[in-house]
Amino acid sequence: MGRVGGKVIAVLRLAVAAVFLVAGVMKIWDFAHARSATPDFTITIQHYELLSPDLSMLLAVYLPWLEVIAALALFARPLALGAAAALLGMSVMFLAAIGSAWWRGLNIACGCFGKDEATTDYRLLILRDLALLAAIAVLFAHEWRRARAA
Amino acid sequence: MIARTLRQLALVLALALVPALVSGAWQLQWHAQEPLAPGEVRLATARMWGDQVQWVDARSRAKFERTHIPGALLLNEDEWDKLVGPFLDAWDADKTLIVYCDGGSCEASQAVAERIRTELKIGGVYVLKGGWAAWEGK
Repeated sequence: MGRVGGKVIAVLRLAVAAVFLVAGVMKIWDFAHARSATPDFTITIQHYELLSPDLSMLLAVYLPWLEVIAALALFARPLALGAAAALLGMSVMFLAAIGSAWWRGLNIACGCFGKDEATTDYRLLILRDLALLAAIAVLFAHEWRRARAA
Repeated sequence: MIARTLRQLALVLALALVPALVSGAWQLQWHAQEPLAPGEVRLATARMWGDQVQWVDARSRAKFERTHIPGALLLNEDEWDKLVGPFLDAWDADKTLIVYCDGGSCEASQAVAERIRTELKIGGVYVLKGGWAAWEGK
């Protein structure tokens, strides 16, 4: 890979990691009120009307940590491929959830970056998630090639 | 390569599980409890949701006037037509509705929650497991 390609990958890695790190941390801790953000995120998940209250709560506890760990693991060579796979999976899941909410006509906040996000503008959200998905797909392909060459 | 990807993925998933378990154990009450029926929510969860909850009292007016959960709105089947207007006026779309009745085997909360979902087209409506008795700690 050339220097330009390497720089593009480095920028993409930083950007994707930053997005997931911020998203994860904001779902774990509500900085505005200095309290856990898990209850708010649980409600946000429930507004999608896809999971039971108990499953919503479990997901609200686990998903933000997965975002944080996967974002950090993107910089650890032995884990980067797995991290990219996890981020890819999460992005597809987010797109499916948002698309499903749009299709069912739900007027809910995305909750992608904590509870204070504005009401969902589905077109914008889907475009944003598609861009993120494309960036992660490039990273995944890069890690795949690198792992195969190793 | 697929096996390597899956191995790494499993490791990332497991690494995330460690802080999640610590965080979960800290925040939630993990103990064996009676399973929830669809649409039911436990008092511990409702308390965790704090001021994002709008309580709905599905008991009789007499019981409501005697005592109720602070901030609860009265909406029962007996006076549905009369109460639904004031209920909708006070309804805050950003809050999650939790309906309660006496507790034990009472079915009023389930019935009212169902009417809110189907007739008022409001989503995110739950029923408090154990009802008023759970709130009172009985």
